[in-house]
Amino acid sequence: MTAIPLFVLTSGIVLELALGRVLSRKDKGRLAFATGLIALVAVALLIPTVARQGAVDQTLFSWDQGVSFQVHVDGLSLVFALMATGIGSAILLYCVGYMTHESNGITRFYTLMLTFIGGLVSLVFSENLLMAYVSWETIGLCSYFLVGFWYKETVAVNGARKVLVMTHLAGYGLLVAILLLHVRSGTFLWTDPALGAAFSSGIFLLMLVAAMAKSVLFPLHTWIPEAMNAPTPVSALLHSACYVKAGVYLIARFYAIAPWQPEWHTVVLAVGCVTMVIGAVFALVQTDLKRLLAFSTISQLGYIVTGLGLGTDLGLAAGLFYAMSHGLFKGTLFLGAGAVQHATGSRDMRKLGGLAAVMPRTVRVWLIAAASIIGVPLGNGFVAKWLLYDAALDAGQGVVVVVAWLVSVFTAFYVLKATVGVFYGDMPEWLCRRRVHEAPLAMQAGMGILAALCLLFGVAPQLLMRPVIEPAVRGLGFDWAVGLSWLGVRTSSAGAQVTAGAVLVLVSLFAGWAVYRLGRVATGKDQVRVFTGGEPLPEAGDRVSVTDFADMAEGAFEPVYHVADPDPIYVVLWRGTECLARWVDDALTPLNEGHSLAVTAALAALVFVAVWLW
Amino acid sequence: MDYNIIFDITFLLLFAWVALYATAVPQGDKRWWGLLAAMAALVGVGMALGRGLWRTWFIDAAAFVAAAMVATRGTPKALDAMRHYLALLVLSVVCIGAGLLLGGEGATPPGGALPNVVAALLLVGFAIKLALLPFYFWLPGVAESAAPMTTALIVSVVDVAAFTELVHLRQVAPWVFADHAALWLVLALLSMFGGALLALAQRDLKRMLAFSTVDDMGYLLLGVTVGSDVGLAGALLGALSHALLKVLLFGAVGLVEGTIGEPVTLDNSRGLAARFPVSGAVFIVGSLGMIGVPPLFGFVGRWRLYLTGAEYGGPALVLAMAVATGLALLYYARAIHRVWLGRPEGITVSYSEPRTAKGVLVALAVVVLLLGVFPGWMTGVLG
Repeated sequence: MTAIPLFVLTSGIVLELALGRVLSRKDKGRLAFATGLIALVAVALLIPTVARQGAVDQTLFSWDQGVSFQVHVDGLSLVFALMATGIGSAILLYCVGYMTHESNGITRFYTLMLTFIGGLVSLVFSENLLMAYVSWETIGLCSYFLVGFWYKETVAVNGARKVLVMTHLAGYGLLVAILLLHVRSGTFLWTDPALGAAFSSGIFLLMLVAAMAKSVLFPLHTWIPEAMNAPTPVSALLHSACYVKAGVYLIARFYAIAPWQPEWHTVVLAVGCVTMVIGAVFALVQTDLKRLLAFSTISQLGYIVTGLGLGTDLGLAAGLFYAMSHGLFKGTLFLGAGAVQHATGSRDMRKLGGLAAVMPRTVRVWLIAAASIIGVPLGNGFVAKWLLYDAALDAGQGVVVVVAWLVSVFTAFYVLKATVGVFYGDMPEWLCRRRVHEAPLAMQAGMGILAALCLLFGVAPQLLMRPVIEPAVRGLGFDWAVGLSWLGVRTSSAGAQVTAGAVLVLVSLFAGWAVYRLGRVATGKDQVRVFTGGEPLPEAGDRVSVTDFADMAEGAFEPVYHVADPDPIYVVLWRGTECLARWVDDALTPLNEGHSLAVTAALAALVFVAVWLW
Repeated sequence: MDYNIIFDITFLLLFAWVALYATAVPQGDKRWWGLLAAMAALVGVGMALGRGLWRTWFIDAAAFVAAAMVATRGTPKALDAMRHYLALLVLSVVCIGAGLLLGGEGATPPGGALPNVVAALLLVGFAIKLALLPFYFWLPGVAESAAPMTTALIVSVVDVAAFTELVHLRQVAPWVFADHAALWLVLALLSMFGGALLALAQRDLKRMLAFSTVDDMGYLLLGVTVGSDVGLAGALLGALSHALLKVLLFGAVGLVEGTIGEPVTLDNSRGLAARFPVSGAVFIVGSLGMIGVPPLFGFVGRWRLYLTGAEYGGPALVLAMAVATGLALLYYARAIHRVWLGRPEGITVSYSEPRTAKGVLVALAVVVLLLGVFPGWMTGVLG
């Protein structure tokens, strides 16, 4: 039973390769979508069994001598497998329309996309840590090849190189940790108590480094903005469902392997909070739509990891619910950005505007996702944020609440900036001349499904909480005392004050809106189109432009952009390594020019001396 | 099954692949073909003999044939490289031969001061033969001036066959390694780090690949030095993947060089994959395999070698190995992105890759992938 999703995805990959020359571009997309959908159904069918038994174990095949591909599917596995196959399928549906104009590499594209999804499913199903590492690096390779899909474009492949170098180097932390665990415990199975007993702080830190690079946590986050020159569905899959969530899975999985030391919580919370701030502050100044969303991903991953770092049932519930919600709303936003780029050929927000008039359906799904990421009630983001605040208060982590609240404000700023900059205001002249069109139906369907799910889980989060999140949290060894009802209202007593606070906020919002409406009725018309608090609009125009906004943020946070960018340090390290290499080469090359025999004889004599001494 | 048979079959397959490739991308004149046949015969018979001095002589004879193959290019540089190689080869053969004759193949050390003499002779002999740091001097010149497939055969067949002799020595005379483990280990680490740094300093792709062999041999030597079951299995699997991957890498570079008629360097070529897509793809596969990225075959040996490092030297040694691999990642990633990927520059004429050569390279790449995805049957034999 547990093998079915992997079998389906493997079959899809084989079919894509086998029928690559026969199928049309659209049919390849349909095949990939159907594969993803069947895999999703197969994963969903595991839910009742996992809820009943706690976990399903199976040995699939012997991979290497003494290393079998053993799977252990528990609640946590299902959370991520559902995300990969579910959001992955919606993205594949979107691809049917999006990739139509691509002339080359379609078979390669869909094969890699399915391998990507299969890699994450394999990672979260694997009980054997060595197999988990193989899956970990398989998705790493897929992301490398997908980011560099347009391999004749220097910008795209430079991004791919950064993905490969940063994530693969950090991945050695995971491999070294796994091998050290094996040396100490004699097993690769994370379910084996002996492995848990060997799990030390050093191992934790090694694995955490790998997770940080995968999940774009500060300071290993800088590859993701550079990976934006890939086809948009790749960005969506990378950011929302598969790639960045692998690290989240790993951090959550630590709870199932060994009890956490108190300092581990501190480290994870600190990393999470710093990441959410840095990501948001950098997002504020972006003028490229996809780069803005990339920095937003960094920030949102900070929220998710912070939830996991709290180490309570509510914190884990918040983290996991947030992970799924982020998959949905960030997937929608990326696909929306892709639709904009598809229609206009640009993602530079300084050149865009007024698209709501010509892309009415796209703007609707964008608005739903934007509201969700900001945390507007009715969206799943609101429930996720609310749970996180609640969990942090519950755990006595007031600082986390303040930081998360502050970052939520930043989030609202940069998302509104993107929304207004792209969809509202007057359409620039060059766009008016271009025949901008609404996204094709398949693309709309892909985005629409994700946006609808944002609303569904925002209104009725219990649909996700009870069958999916609860078994996951229980599987990690926590009791479940999280009562959640419609709109994320907490029904258990612990969150009563917070829920009351939420009601207060909603009442205030309503009151503000009412005052605004009454004011409009009294004057009969809008006084100004944009409320600037009395300040004049920065440029002649009808809105605060993206450039104005970016300049303002850059001025306000100027020192942060220098201090919090670790790339210059990486460049120095790279240059230093190159210098060392040249120095070694310069030192050894003269020995090789004409004197190699004499030098070899001298070295041999040195070895003879060393043998006697050593 | 004896691992010698697996290696023998692999070598013969590689000879066949190289011969097929050379029909499409010429590597030399009739002399080259004759020497190729002689080398294949010598290696085939030598490996089939299994163990003993006869086998060593056959493999050594194949190395001398390889030196002659270097000379078939006829350029002054190639002749100079051949002279260097030959001189050092003689020294290596003398050292190894003397070491073995003085008791190097005995299960227990000979009496008196001989064990130290034997260990030193064998260490120097094998270090020269395998081009370990700091005894690597013959390799860069050969890589730069010989035909690409000649170099590929030297590092994939001659070197790897010599390496299996070292594994054999580890099994029959463990004292040679155990009594001087620190020295062997220093040699391994020097090769790992030094090879990687030297590879990073190169501009010529074939020289870079040559130093990557030095780098890789360091890992293999570590497995042999420790001598545990997992260490030896890792070393053998690593050697096997090295053999396959190096033919792939030199094949890709050789195909481009053979077509455009000049060496491929970091400075004169950009975006080659646009003109040579198959060569670019197999170079990427070969590079990632050499680094040990799963699910390619290189990982199957590499994780065992890391495990050996963890068992033998704890976190410090395994982390050092990971850092050395990180350096390898840097030079391979640089080569991939400076030479193969990105916007094409420098070459304006449209070329097509010869179909036979493409077929050979693709088949080899598929083997490397399949062995990585399903390593069980191979590791069942070599493990």
